[in-house]
Amino acid sequence: MSALKKWPAWVLLVFVVVAFLAVGATRDDGPSTPQERSDAIAQRVACPVCDGESVFESRNTASVNIRNRITELVNGGQASDDEIIADIEASFGGRILLVPKATGFDALVWALPVAALICAVAALAVTFRRWRRDAAAASDPTVEDRAMVAAALADEDP
Amino acid sequence: MSDEPTVTPSRRRRVAPFIALAVAVLLAGLFVVLAGADASTDETAETPLLDRPAPEAVGELADGTTFDLARRKGDWVVLNFFQSSCVPCQQEHPDLVRFVEQQRALGPDGAKFYTVVYDDERPAVEEFFAEEGGDWPVVYDEDGSIAVGFGVAKVPETWIIDPNGIVRGRVISRVTADFLGSQLQVLQEQLS
Repeated sequence: MSALKKWPAWVLLVFVVVAFLAVGATRDDGPSTPQERSDAIAQRVACPVCDGESVFESRNTASVNIRNRITELVNGGQASDDEIIADIEASFGGRILLVPKATGFDALVWALPVAALICAVAALAVTFRRWRRDAAAASDPTVEDRAMVAAALADEDP
Repeated sequence: MSDEPTVTPSRRRRVAPFIALAVAVLLAGLFVVLAGADASTDETAETPLLDRPAPEAVGELADGTTFDLARRKGDWVVLNFFQSSCVPCQQEHPDLVRFVEQQRALGPDGAKFYTVVYDDERPAVEEFFAEEGGDWPVVYDEDGSIAVGFGVAKVPETWIIDPNGIVRGRVISRVTADFLGSQLQVLQEQLS
């Protein structure tokens, strides 16, 4: 019985170990060349005249110009990725960002889904608990039930 | 056995408002986020560059000399991003010719006008100006750096820069001589 009680902990431990191994084995180490870095940054910038495309994918003149600017700044070696994005944003505005910022008002985009998930899990937990209680209450025979069964059994006895 | 804990209506009444409140807060948050989102079709002339120093703008003039916006301080400067095959650019050209004439008539107080070529070939641009008129300086933005600096993705676009090198206006799409002249006058009066 005690072994049965412990098995979820073992399963959880195995799951965590496997998850860590999977993440560690497949983890992307990030860009390793200036070209890869330029491409990675370009994938975070939206094409200003297309819908849902990054400047990395788009062949539009504006996107090509922005890619050239990113490459120039990457090759300059002075600016960080965020500084390069900020440079582009300073000209085109926030609409140019494909990935919303994690600060200020934009952080709501990240926070709301997490809040929704927490609320959903809490609601499920409350609901399951209630169902279990209802089921437990329904399965327990009342005094009247027991009396009825006893009477029926007494009638059957010869 | 019959007094086992059960979910009573009063307990539900206690929990329900909290769940409703959480859902309402989430929906309100989503509404605010979606209402504040920029629609891709909602194009405006708003720019983060307004009232800020103009970005670096260096290009080559038709005569082979260098154009550097930073060296034009002291004058009101109007930059018009242009492409010879763009229909609104062609349509606004006569108005630009008239605007430049009006500004030249003002003498030293008139704004200096420059065309910035956006993704176009020199022969096409030269042919266009030869046919349609316009003898103001034409800047070739070969690497697109001026366009990126100003956040230009479509043409035509017209920018107004004050004598201190501060961006004071942006007009997207086609302009008329009267509109551009009046905008410039308002800005000059505001800053005088």
